[in-house]
Amino acid sequence: MGNLIRNEWMKILHRPGTYVMAGLLILAVIASAVITLFINSNFNSSNEDWRQALEAENEQIQMTIESGEEGFYTPSPEGALALNEYRLENDIAPNNAESMWQYLENNSFMISLVGLFSIIVASGIVAGEFSWGTVKLLMIRPIARWKILLSKFLTVATFGLSLIGILTVLSLILGAIFFDSGSAVQLTYSDGEVRESNMIFYLMKVYLYNSIDVILLTTMAFMISAVFRSSSLAIGISLFLYFVGGTATGFIAMYYDWAKYSLFANTNLTMYEMGVPLVEGMTMTFSIIMILIYFTIFVALAFTVFTKRDIAA
Amino acid sequence: MTKKSIVELKNVTKVIKGKTIIDKVSFDVYGGEVFGFLGPNGAGKTTTIRMIVGLMKLTDGDVLIEGKSIKTDFEGAVRHVGAIVENPEMYKFLSGYKNLVHYARMYKGISKEKINEVVKLVGLEKRIHEKVKTYSLGMRQRLGIAQSLLHDPKVLILDEPTNGLDPAGIREIRDYIRRLARERNMAVIVSSHLLSEMEMMCDRIGIIQNGKLIDVQSMDDFVSTEGKLFKLEVKEPHEVKKKVLTHHAEWTVEVVEQSLVIDMTKDQIPELIRFCVAENIDVYGISPAAKTLEDRFLEVTSEGGLVKHG
Repeated sequence: MGNLIRNEWMKILHRPGTYVMAGLLILAVIASAVITLFINSNFNSSNEDWRQALEAENEQIQMTIESGEEGFYTPSPEGALALNEYRLENDIAPNNAESMWQYLENNSFMISLVGLFSIIVASGIVAGEFSWGTVKLLMIRPIARWKILLSKFLTVATFGLSLIGILTVLSLILGAIFFDSGSAVQLTYSDGEVRESNMIFYLMKVYLYNSIDVILLTTMAFMISAVFRSSSLAIGISLFLYFVGGTATGFIAMYYDWAKYSLFANTNLTMYEMGVPLVEGMTMTFSIIMILIYFTIFVALAFTVFTKRDIAA
Repeated sequence: MTKKSIVELKNVTKVIKGKTIIDKVSFDVYGGEVFGFLGPNGAGKTTTIRMIVGLMKLTDGDVLIEGKSIKTDFEGAVRHVGAIVENPEMYKFLSGYKNLVHYARMYKGISKEKINEVVKLVGLEKRIHEKVKTYSLGMRQRLGIAQSLLHDPKVLILDEPTNGLDPAGIREIRDYIRRLARERNMAVIVSSHLLSEMEMMCDRIGIIQNGKLIDVQSMDDFVSTEGKLFKLEVKEPHEVKKKVLTHHAEWTVEVVEQSLVIDMTKDQIPELIRFCVAENIDVYGISPAAKTLEDRFLEVTSEGGLVKHG
């Protein structure tokens, strides 16, 4: 299996597209640092008087609670109030845009760029062999077809992980150079209590949550690539769903309950942390099970069809 | 040369969407021989080859390679096979050498020395580190042969190996193939729709038409069946024909262009010459007039066609 994965990586690393993707990702991380620095220098936000700012905010929250409105506080006005009070009592300044933690958290949105590139690679990794005609020479080796497919799947997985690695390591380096260290304590509010946790674990969770739809859509692209042997079909369908699926499901969910069985209704696990599930009655466990079901279906389809069908290309 | 069958096809059948593409094809290929698989385009050559190497599943029958079934022991069977299926399509963005490394990694224990040895065998040393993109068709064909020999296979399967090559390239490939069969005692299966080529390359030949194997014969038998024909060059063939027939009524004599074509055995030649001398006939030459492969091919395939319609 190791040799097969090395082969796949060799094929990926000898194509210029790979370097374009990595280059774009690196550019995006740098651009994000430049833009953050530029905005901060313009607004000159200072962290000195964070106590005053929090106290002012608390007054407003108090008013919201008294008026009985819902407001726009997450997870709730009470929670926001409790968090602010905890900060004032324990002297923990909130991280502003100039801290490296905030920068790292902001960069988590670039996982969608990683998703885009992973989908492109997953779409081509099986279908490409068919369009190049090399699949014939690949499949007449004393290696079962499922092993070859598995090696390709693992290659896509390691490719995605490598891009996330580039994203985080570069963000950490740029963050450490250009931004304040900030406070490495993350506060969360749940069940009427404020808890302290390590910022690093919090960020890992943010990155993981953001990666779920990437993982599933990349798997889907891989499945389409293996079943239909067409990379354009795989890229087209997967990217369309990647960018539209979430919004469309959101609309459907406003009118129909069955939307909760859609893949995209379940990929955003942060909704449970915020306490606002897409459809009433959905739970974290439900979503995780749905995610696993979709993943299993994609993988099972890819492997059964690919190992059974004749190669007549 | 050992007469051990390395590849055995047993009633190989392929049905696609209710249509029988390959119908009960059976033949054996032995070590040290070049087996030609001949048929018009669309007859089922490539489909049969794809089934032998496991790219396509068999609807019925079995293929044994070194006694291992491609159906039940794919890895055990295909381990002994080196093949080019249709065109030798390689990764164009990799160098020739990297392509070989790629395939070498899919077997156990292929050393760098082995790769270099194969490169040398096909004469690609100078260009092996250049990208396949820059290779000519002939070089790609040679690289294709190199990848098929990496693991010292017992069977070499080449689908249309001389397709698109120039005469020098064709000759080169032909010499390789013959040498490999003889020196390494490999079984070589070559498919082609080019008759003349098969004639020069193969020891035995199987003709496939409409998915049916209609004939398997050794090359010599195939080209000259049912007695021998000899060509006698004379000045006035028609008159000579009469004279010959009065003397040897049992011979079949035909006039073809400026010669007589006589159906007889080899030991009757001296008799014929003595006869010509006695009769004062000027003989300009006598030579065996074997039917060409093309004649036989058309003969056999049209018979096959008749069988089908009858």
